[in-house]
Amino acid sequence: MSVVARLEEDALRPEGELTALIERASGDGAVVSFVGVARPGSEADQTVYRLVLEHHPTLTLQSLEDIAVEAAARFDVSHVHVVHRCGEVVAGEPIVFAGAASLHRRAAFEAADYLMDRLKTEAVFWKREVGEGGSEWIEPTDTDYADRERWG
Amino acid sequence: MKVLFYGRLAEAIGPELEVDASPGSSVAEVRDRLAAEHPDVEEVLRGKRALSFVGEMLVRDDYRLVAGDTLEFLPPVSGG
Repeated sequence: MSVVARLEEDALRPEGELTALIERASGDGAVVSFVGVARPGSEADQTVYRLVLEHHPTLTLQSLEDIAVEAAARFDVSHVHVVHRCGEVVAGEPIVFAGAASLHRRAAFEAADYLMDRLKTEAVFWKREVGEGGSEWIEPTDTDYADRERWG
Repeated sequence: MKVLFYGRLAEAIGPELEVDASPGSSVAEVRDRLAAEHPDVEEVLRGKRALSFVGEMLVRDDYRLVAGDTLEFLPPVSGG
């Protein structure tokens, strides 16, 4: 069992994270990964240039670690791997990598789904979209909170 | 008493504020004062998904602050 939870200030390279997860998962039969990417358009259909992710000096990493550890405890997975960007993320660039490995595929799929539902609503970041419409704070939607509630 | 803010609260109030609150004041009392002084973010301060921390401990509204505490107000968080 291993858990990786990292706050990344520089570019997030999903292929490197996936390679690392696959190497750790040498005895497993399934690796599932999700990559979240900064969208180039806002809900109001305006161009977004970049996302700015502000974070807390201690609580942000703590929240990533808590979510990753709880995913590892809840599902029959052998490895959980979470990397989250902070700072400025240009539209089109990755923001988050969430992956899990398990003996059989179902647990890894569920763990990745769970990781993202919790990260969307509980990871300690404050997100701002900067684009043609100016700067706007982005908070979880009702759907995000409902998705989180599915897991109890 | 030092109070720290993040996200849209930091944008409106500033990242740090010295509040003249006596030891024994509750989190709710400090929030009420801040809400009165910063009506533009009253809704954020009072939002049900806003969080209050002292040290690295999540505290409720009835938590009584002691000398040396730093109170932190976190607006709703969002990752991913």
